Amino acid sequence: MSEPAFDREWRLVDLLDTAACEKVAAALAQLLGGDLAIIDALGDPVCGSLHPAARREPLVLELEPIGYLGSATAGADALRAARDLLLALLRCQLRCTMAVALHQAAAAGDFVSLAREQTRLAEAEARCAWLSEELDDRVRKQVHELGERQQALYLADKLSSVGQLAAGMAHEINNPLAFVRSNFSTFERYLGQIAQLKTQLANAEVAWPALDLDFVLEDSRDLLHDSAQGLERIARIIGELKEFSNVDRAVEEFSDLNECLHQAAVIVEKQLPFGVAIRFRLLPLPGIICLPGHLKQLFFNVIGNAAQAIRDAGRPGEITLSSEVDGKNIVIRIQDDGVGMTAEQIEHAFEPFYTQRPVGSGIGLGLATARSVVLAHGGRIALDSRLGAGTTVTLFFPLPQ
Amino acid sequence: MPEIDARRLTFKIVYYGPEQGGKTSNLLRLRELLPPERAGEMMALDTRGGSTLLFDLLPFGFRSESGLLVKFRLFSVPGKTAYDATRKAVLARADGVVFVADADRSLEAINRESFRRLADDCAEVGLAFKYLPLVVQFNKCDLPNAVPEAETRARWSAAPWPLVFAAANGGRGVTQTLEALLRSLHRRFDGECALRARHALDEDTFVVRAMGGG
Repeated sequence: MSEPAFDREWRLVDLLDTAACEKVAAALAQLLGGDLAIIDALGDPVCGSLHPAARREPLVLELEPIGYLGSATAGADALRAARDLLLALLRCQLRCTMAVALHQAAAAGDFVSLAREQTRLAEAEARCAWLSEELDDRVRKQVHELGERQQALYLADKLSSVGQLAAGMAHEINNPLAFVRSNFSTFERYLGQIAQLKTQLANAEVAWPALDLDFVLEDSRDLLHDSAQGLERIARIIGELKEFSNVDRAVEEFSDLNECLHQAAVIVEKQLPFGVAIRFRLLPLPGIICLPGHLKQLFFNVIGNAAQAIRDAGRPGEITLSSEVDGKNIVIRIQDDGVGMTAEQIEHAFEPFYTQRPVGSGIGLGLATARSVVLAHGGRIALDSRLGAGTTVTLFFPLPQ
Repeated sequence: MPEIDARRLTFKIVYYGPEQGGKTSNLLRLRELLPPERAGEMMALDTRGGSTLLFDLLPFGFRSESGLLVKFRLFSVPGKTAYDATRKAVLARADGVVFVADADRSLEAINRESFRRLADDCAEVGLAFKYLPLVVQFNKCDLPNAVPEAETRARWSAAPWPLVFAAANGGRGVTQTLEALLRSLHRRFDGECALRARHALDEDTFVVRAMGGG
């Protein structure tokens, strides 16, 4: 601290500067009617000069003298009186000086604590800012992590879906593949039998029955027919997959959706079990530009699902196909009163390869394909189902503006 | 750290505590109880209606056999909360502290608050509170609403500081308080100031001489 501390040991010169000292000394000398000198604690003169034979009176403010008053001419009592006068003056000066110094220290202390408070505030603010940045960072990081985890989950789900597809495909394709292969190896054996006939052509009449060639021929026909069917099944599975992945693009046409719906329904109707009926409630629709091939496939899938749902319910039922124009959309509803779906089934219904049906009855691309077809037409698909009461699939196709 | 040079060693002792607790009374009674030649004039700066506005100062001391003037300057701080900065400025550079508490039961919270502020103020003016020679005086023990000594002792049993029960107005406990602090000062600064080594001042001599004996 640059200011002198209020509680320092004050010296004479701190309390009375030379000018003040001269003034006081002159007044005191006048009162004493003789010489007068003031010296400090170490004996050095502050004002006047001390006569070697001078009488001295100590100036004591606390315990020890801070200086002396001296005079060669003044009497002892007069000098003491002058000393007391000077002391009273010094005391006044001391109080004033200490008060001022303390006040300055307090003010400086106030300023220091204000400055400290200010610094603390600034630090707190900086820390706040830092914390909030840190918080932002953390949130960003966690959101990112969550996103990654979500992505990982989604991928895992997708992978498990691919797994489902692979398992389904494997079964679907393995069966026909196995019996086609077995058929071919049998047919190869049959060819060997037929080849033996060549060595016994002279005696063909005997050789033919001996080689059991009647059976071989008939069985070969069956084998080839079965194999063709098996290959057909494999082709159909691959066709379904291609349909789903939209590999073979159909051509866009101006079509009436009622017609597409009708055509699809007719195909399903042919395979309907006894007790399942289709009812049409179709209102006239404007034609739209669409992919009729895909739409028919879509309707076929959904109506097929509806039929299956009724069959699964084990009771007679009805599929209702309705269409209408609702504001800006063509709305097509395919409704059944079959088994309905569980919450879990509804949740996964649109996921590719998800199926609740036993292997062999489809590879679970139905609703997923349906959705991608609808989306390709700029529309949307909604599913409403209650377990035991039935399912309604609603398709929205936007009308051109 | 006391000021020391070849001729003089000065200790600064500060009487600290809640307002109207009796800090100034302690100094006034000490002025009467100490031998007149050992004490200087008491300086009371700006006392208004019984409250210290700035500080009081009572100097006293003794000269050792070795010729050293051992001086004690007793300051009292303003107790009023409003004089926060002044109180800190007075407390600065203290070598020892007497905490004057008011024994009145209704003032316990105020004592506690003031004591806590003493620790804070020490930290602010750079005094190591942990090593500060400190005596806690419970003043006005003679009054009817005072907390009984036994109860206070029990409550403060874990505190390392000497406790003194006083009635400063009647002079009771005032010199005991100062004595206790002088002992703490001696223990704290004997080594640094070579009190025993160079000035033949062991603890008892130091206290007895300071209090006007010997």
